[in-house]
Amino acid sequence: MTDGRRIILDGRPIPYEDGDSVAVAMMRAGEHPQHGGTICLAGDCGNCAAAVDGVAYVRTCQTRARPGLVVRRHPAVGEPVLPAVDKMNLAGYVPAPRIRVQREEADLVVIGAGDSGVAAATNAERQGRTVTVLDAHDEMEVVAVYAGPTIIVRTRGGMLHINAREVVVATGAAELHPVCPGSSLIGLVTARAARQLHAAGVHLGVAVAIGAAPSGVPSIPLQGRLLRFEGEGRVMGVVMADEGSDRELTTACDTVILDLGNSPRDLLSRMSGDLPVTVVGPAADAFPLPECPTTGTVCPCSNVSVEDLQGVWDRGFRELELVKRASLVGTGTCQGSVCLPYVRSFIADRTGGIPDPFTARPASRQITLAEAAAGVHIDAFRRTPLHDEHIALGARMDRFGGWWRPWHYGDHVAEYWSVREAVSLGDVSTLGKLIVSGPDAVEFLERLYPTNIADIRVGRSRYALLLNERGHLMDDGMICREAESRFVLTFTSAGASHAEMWVRDWVDTLGLRVHVLDRTMSLAAINVTGPLAGQLLERVGLSEQPRFLQHVRAEVAGVPCHVMRLSFTGEMSFELHHAVERSVELWRSLMAHGHDLGIAPHGLQALQALRLEKGNVIVGMDSELDSTPRRLGMEWAVKMDKPDFIGRSALARTAQLPDDRRLVGLTMPGMAPIEGSPIWFDHEVIGHVASSFTSPVLGHAVMLGWLKRAPFPEQVEVDGRSASVVRPPFYDPEGSRARA
Amino acid sequence: MLALEVIQGVRVVAAPEALDAARWGDQTVVLRFAADDAFAIGATDTDLTDEHAIIVGETAFVGAWLTDDELDAWVLPHIEWPLPDYRPDLAQGFVAGVPAKLWLTEGRTLLLCPAAYAHELSERLR
Repeated sequence: MTDGRRIILDGRPIPYEDGDSVAVAMMRAGEHPQHGGTICLAGDCGNCAAAVDGVAYVRTCQTRARPGLVVRRHPAVGEPVLPAVDKMNLAGYVPAPRIRVQREEADLVVIGAGDSGVAAATNAERQGRTVTVLDAHDEMEVVAVYAGPTIIVRTRGGMLHINAREVVVATGAAELHPVCPGSSLIGLVTARAARQLHAAGVHLGVAVAIGAAPSGVPSIPLQGRLLRFEGEGRVMGVVMADEGSDRELTTACDTVILDLGNSPRDLLSRMSGDLPVTVVGPAADAFPLPECPTTGTVCPCSNVSVEDLQGVWDRGFRELELVKRASLVGTGTCQGSVCLPYVRSFIADRTGGIPDPFTARPASRQITLAEAAAGVHIDAFRRTPLHDEHIALGARMDRFGGWWRPWHYGDHVAEYWSVREAVSLGDVSTLGKLIVSGPDAVEFLERLYPTNIADIRVGRSRYALLLNERGHLMDDGMICREAESRFVLTFTSAGASHAEMWVRDWVDTLGLRVHVLDRTMSLAAINVTGPLAGQLLERVGLSEQPRFLQHVRAEVAGVPCHVMRLSFTGEMSFELHHAVERSVELWRSLMAHGHDLGIAPHGLQALQALRLEKGNVIVGMDSELDSTPRRLGMEWAVKMDKPDFIGRSALARTAQLPDDRRLVGLTMPGMAPIEGSPIWFDHEVIGHVASSFTSPVLGHAVMLGWLKRAPFPEQVEVDGRSASVVRPPFYDPEGSRARA
Repeated sequence: MLALEVIQGVRVVAAPEALDAARWGDQTVVLRFAADDAFAIGATDTDLTDEHAIIVGETAFVGAWLTDDELDAWVLPHIEWPLPDYRPDLAQGFVAGVPAKLWLTEGRTLLLCPAAYAHELSERLR
């Protein structure tokens, strides 16, 4: 009895009874879950999909009726209405609740609790296996199998992710739907659905049965070949052809029960690839394909007809995957459960060979974005200890190389001039920093880097490229010698993680006695740069300052620092590496002591200009995946007279090849063109601009760009203007300012 | 929100046998990140037989001690890997997409991550 239990269908309450699915409740009330089509009540098709409690494409046959459930049928034409968000008025917007994720480890997971699933589970338990059985009827709906294998399950309480040692797919077989005119009428049910409806007490009216009539369900069996269904909205009759004479015979009815055969319900196994997934029972059976359809709708989800398939075929798409892509057959709600047997039959009829089923991909059922995103975290971005200082100074922060970094502090040109004319601070805490120590440290670094290591004296440092075995640039940075067998290496911010792995891998591969410690996140670093940098550091206690490419351990403003003298900006620069917990103290002290010197912090935007004027390359921005030192114009950083280093043999070999690609400097009057602009010569594109900036100090555009056709011209065209090819650096070519 | 505090100690990279033989104070918790890599929480120095060992002060980790209930409620829903069965034991991997470490002892667990990720971890475990 209903006892007042109702669901709300299209704004109108309808009763349901114990055990009803939403689809059965609707049919009990004389309604069709959608607007027609065969009902299977097994979750195989999309013909009962509706919006349930605001979620569209829910298979109502798999959803239990419960009091107050709100069901809106999808419109007959077009997409279901999705919840709309008024972006102009978010005050009343309530975001969807977060979907919880539970994670479990399992031995053997059996998907499907039918006969074959129970048999597989029982057999496995006898062998001592621990078995987990999942079945949609228990509201454990498996929607995907990923590598692992990891099984994604939708439950009433949220999502369940199970890492299993092994999976058995025992999902049974689906019943074939008819493909003929009238197949979208109301009143068509599969044999299993008819049994369910009859058992639930749903009145089917005058029912006729095509194929084997379901036992216990009152129906009139029909003979012959199905031609079409007739009626308007609802089925009113079925037309069969007499097998012998082809004479048409029409039978009036309210319901047509269809037993047309089966197909394996193997969607989950087809998305499992070479995972340890076994298919058993009817899901593994090779059922005979249905006869090739001659007319009618093959794919009700995407509304693809036999005529549509023929059109695709005639245009030359003759493989199953291509037919699918060209016609969109099998891409709808049921993901091919209904149409795949017919499409295979269609192709088999034309080629004589039966194609394998098309690939299946997660998810097998419609899931919400919240369900798909449940438990997934976007990349985590690190903050330097100076993050709040930057915010307080008005920085616009952005994500670079896995870190939040200041892009500018409101006026990048003013920041630029503070570096060129006064003194400025840059937060370079994000640089990669490794300590390498051990009796074989020198030998290791000699083999790692293309530059000489042994002649770097203690207290000195050297710029170095990091190459892979092909001689392509991976990263760059400094090598600082702290002791005979101890070095500090720096890497780019974005390349630090990979460089650390690279270093560790080669230590292991070469079997050398070297210890490695990554200090990237343990040490902060502030770059004090500008012509007044030395003066500022003297004020805060660094009177014995290292000369260019020297480094010392010293206290700066009372903070123990590893002070490295180098230059990326082209001006006098000191990198102060120090413990993260002292960083704010050091930053504030430097800012306070530099106030009358015109100190200001600079962000990455100003840094881009500063380094570009010096022609300093940014790995990954100016370099490409196959950039060799020769192509970059950095052969000076490679010592081919060394007996060996990573990439040496490749460089020796490629040095014999034509020099047909080169990173060059470019200048032209006026504003800089956008990065990525094509470089033209003689009406052809011969390269592109990698970096560009309108140089404040030079008053014209400076660029680094790739020329990819030899011989390299001296004049090219960029952005419709003439540009000169020059050798960088563009600013202070002697490097006197950095060495000052 | 989970309150993460700076966890100070000494970081040592040395030959595994030297680390095995190292002596630490009674109150020191030694987390062995790798065979050659240890973080000695609460330590200020150590004695090692490896003359090439890297021994540095470490102040760039933050962490919080959690009860078993807090571990279940805050952390377990955010890890995709199984916890070790034995106690004490160190587990390392992503927690809510943030690289982290769990020092699991009977009744309580130290959740540890680099300070650079502290804000991400705190916000994600709310």
